[in-house]
Amino acid sequence: MTMADDAERRMEAYLAQLRRRLRGLDDEDAREIVAELRSHIQDKAAAGGQVTSAGVDRALAALGSPEELASAYLTDDLLARAEVSRSPLRILESLFSWAGLSLAGFLVLMVSVVGYFLGVVFILVAALKSFHPRTAGLWILPNGADDFEISVRLGFGGVPGSGRELLGWWIIPLGVGAGCALVLLTTRFAIWCARQYRKSRALPRG
Amino acid sequence: MIPCSARYVSDERRATSDQETVDKWEVQLRKGCLELAILAALWGGKLYGLEILRRLESDSDLIVSEGTVYPLLSRLKALGLVKSEWVESDAGHPRKYYALTPAGKKRAQDMAGIWTRFSASMSKLLAPLGKGIR
Repeated sequence: MTMADDAERRMEAYLAQLRRRLRGLDDEDAREIVAELRSHIQDKAAAGGQVTSAGVDRALAALGSPEELASAYLTDDLLARAEVSRSPLRILESLFSWAGLSLAGFLVLMVSVVGYFLGVVFILVAALKSFHPRTAGLWILPNGADDFEISVRLGFGGVPGSGRELLGWWIIPLGVGAGCALVLLTTRFAIWCARQYRKSRALPRG
Repeated sequence: MIPCSARYVSDERRATSDQETVDKWEVQLRKGCLELAILAALWGGKLYGLEILRRLESDSDLIVSEGTVYPLLSRLKALGLVKSEWVESDAGHPRKYYALTPAGKKRAQDMAGIWTRFSASMSKLLAPLGKGIR
């Protein structure tokens, strides 16, 4: 069965766009998705016995835009990864691809990056306290009469001129606790958002 | 005159938003069943994507979009509930067939058990309402 040249071109253009947007997935997985959808479009367009240009257009329209379809694959991938392993690195990897496709994905990525970053900082400060006992910790630094800032310091610089350290050695258990809690909460947040996103898309038609 | 028409509009709006709420609920309900529906469609043996879609459309009220089913199949595969293989076809291009794994069979049976118990108890509860509907 052969396809009209222009119909085949439109199909390949669609698949190429989809392929570009699936970058966050394993190469192998992305290749398979594209091959499967090519086979689907060919079957669908040939439903009447003959592949027609209109059939290809109908099949492409039924799949939705490449952006929407890629978003669905990426959020489903994120949810599947989260069920198998909750590694922040793998979750961030999926979030990066999702962020390129929609504003929702971008916002979730931003919040998650901040969450993971703060979590890592808290764990680091706890780990570095033993090496920089006088400078690492949670500091309160006066900026003026009624103005002060609270700063988490890893302890690489000198002792801040004024200000005092708040927690002393307590930063070790509290930093580890707060850091782990932040990392876990961020992971939960990302998964929750991906679920909400999947729910919000009105997918079943009819 | 003006307040009157304003009230008319707001009532109208409430009616549509009620309808929207019900529609959304129905969408969520169908979506929640989709995973079980796909596993059930595969119970009889391996099928490729378009066959699964057609099975869902002919055997159930679930009219689902292709853009939903394919990503979901790929998730079910990542979770180890289905496996896939490429098979050459008469159409001149290979097709990707899906089949249940042992874990997928177990998941399907577990979900079907919950579904059956749940729908039986809901039907009992809803029986009095049915008289007014049909």
